[in-house]
Amino acid sequence: MLSSVPHRKTWNKSKKTVKVTRSYPTFPSLNAWEEFRGLFPVDGEPNPGVGLGVEEGLLGQMVHSPEFNLFPESVVFESNFVQVRKGRDWIDIYKTYNTMALGVTSSVPCLPLPNILLMASVKWHHGQNQTWNKPSTAPKIILKRILPLKFVELQVSDHLQRVLRLRTVTEKIYYLKLHPDHPKTVFHFWIRLIQILQKGLSITTKDPRILVTHCLVPKNSCSPSGDSQLVQKKPQASQPSESLMQLMAKGESEALCQIFVDLHQHNLFSSRSSKKTENKKDSSGKKTSPSEDSIPCTRDLSWRDSFTYGEWERENPSGPQSLSLLSTLAASTGPQLAPLIGSSI
Amino acid sequence: MAYAYLFKYIIIGDTGVGKSCLLLQFTDKRFQPVHDLTIGVEFGARMITIDGKQIKLQIWDTAGQESFRSITRSYYRGAAGALLVYDITSTRENTLKIVIGLSLMFRRDTFNHLTTWLEDARQHSNSNMVIMLIGNKSDLESRREVKKEEGEAFAREHGLIFMETSAKTASNVEEAFINTAKEIYEKIQEGVFDINNEANGIKIGPQHAATNATHAGSQGGQQAGGGCC
Repeated sequence: MLSSVPHRKTWNKSKKTVKVTRSYPTFPSLNAWEEFRGLFPVDGEPNPGVGLGVEEGLLGQMVHSPEFNLFPESVVFESNFVQVRKGRDWIDIYKTYNTMALGVTSSVPCLPLPNILLMASVKWHHGQNQTWNKPSTAPKIILKRILPLKFVELQVSDHLQRVLRLRTVTEKIYYLKLHPDHPKTVFHFWIRLIQILQKGLSITTKDPRILVTHCLVPKNSCSPSGDSQLVQKKPQASQPSESLMQLMAKGESEALCQIFVDLHQHNLFSSRSSKKTENKKDSSGKKTSPSEDSIPCTRDLSWRDSFTYGEWERENPSGPQSLSLLSTLAASTGPQLAPLIGSSI
Repeated sequence: MAYAYLFKYIIIGDTGVGKSCLLLQFTDKRFQPVHDLTIGVEFGARMITIDGKQIKLQIWDTAGQESFRSITRSYYRGAAGALLVYDITSTRENTLKIVIGLSLMFRRDTFNHLTTWLEDARQHSNSNMVIMLIGNKSDLESRREVKKEEGEAFAREHGLIFMETSAKTASNVEEAFINTAKEIYEKIQEGVFDINNEANGIKIGPQHAATNATHAGSQGGQQAGGGCC
């Protein structure tokens, strides 16, 4: 029933021309697009997610390749794991050159939470350094399964040993040890992801502190005029938590971004301020390494167009929206935005 | 390994009819009597040769149980071939094995449900998709509930290819997958399939694409080279 293809086509076209010229009427934070865009790496800049092996890795490359062409507009958060079993200690089930790539993504990029789990087996060449960005010789990677995340439970089984427990609804259990070549940060990403999957993002609740300003109704029904006043009034981010709220208020509620943002909030701010005051201020203090320079989310921001199309239902995202969901989001908007929403519907 | 074409297949049908076992038999040449229920999609792949050309079959084994099929229909669209599987047997013993939730399903039902599956597949896939109807578990002749003629008649009526198979003994398993590929290949030759349209579930191997960029369904004898798999 997921008939998102026509929709994709629509904005695939716009992908080439969209840039920042799209109008985001009514909702001020969307008018701040240009400012926001500066937070993300632009073409040519190194992407820290790639550097850490959690983005555009082997799994992402494979599912996005012409051979599968799956979820082409969705970012894949992935890592390399070693399948282990419980014993006195964790025991590798397979030989060291057999690993498992585990990733999450969204069937439709604008969903607030990832809804797809990807599992692939990776067979490395003997003696090959198992780094996953650009291995000298490509290992053999085989996509094994796609699971809806709602049928999967992810838990941290052993924090110290960086072992996750993956249990399917049919009681198939995998113990997956994060590959030792991944830095510690990567395991924190997974912990954060698990938290998000279990508890949701605040944007998915009625938390009144969160401004949910992205348009969940077709943009044609929004007021045609832009309103930048609220953008200007918007306080400058000075605390990481404020930044997160602002990011979410800007529609960047996507959980994968959230993970990165959360863990790189400091760098985010360095990056953000340095971008804003690029010429005024020399980033003399601490020169961040390329991998820390920006949020490792996605380079291609064009998928965010779909926010304006009200993609909300997970399994039938192109279908009509649930009114209850809309009202939930309306309830979560701040008082200053309520009249705007009211007038736009 | 290089391939001239890649065909995407889906395997559909009620739960417990042996879809995953058919795939395992075809890709690994082994039979696993107890198989976990499939959730979402599981993948298999194998190279075959048709008309001297290497063809990679990328097979999507879908969940048969309705509650686990939330994402699978969306993948019908890009398939060149579908194996629609039912179970020819009906035994109390088998039936009891597939108590799912509160529903108790009789094997005969897997045949009766074919119409629904077919409608579903046709609705969500491209109109040229080749559909092979498979009556599985032909090794269990003594428990047969659906006559071969019934399967043949259904296939004839709905324009499907038909075979009875046994994932256990491997009987007709190769043939089922390969005959479907032959049918697809013939359609390519006839120009029915637009191989440049990826929605048809066919992809051309990289070098093959280079040599045949201007004419679909080329008879060019050059083997595809350099395709990755």
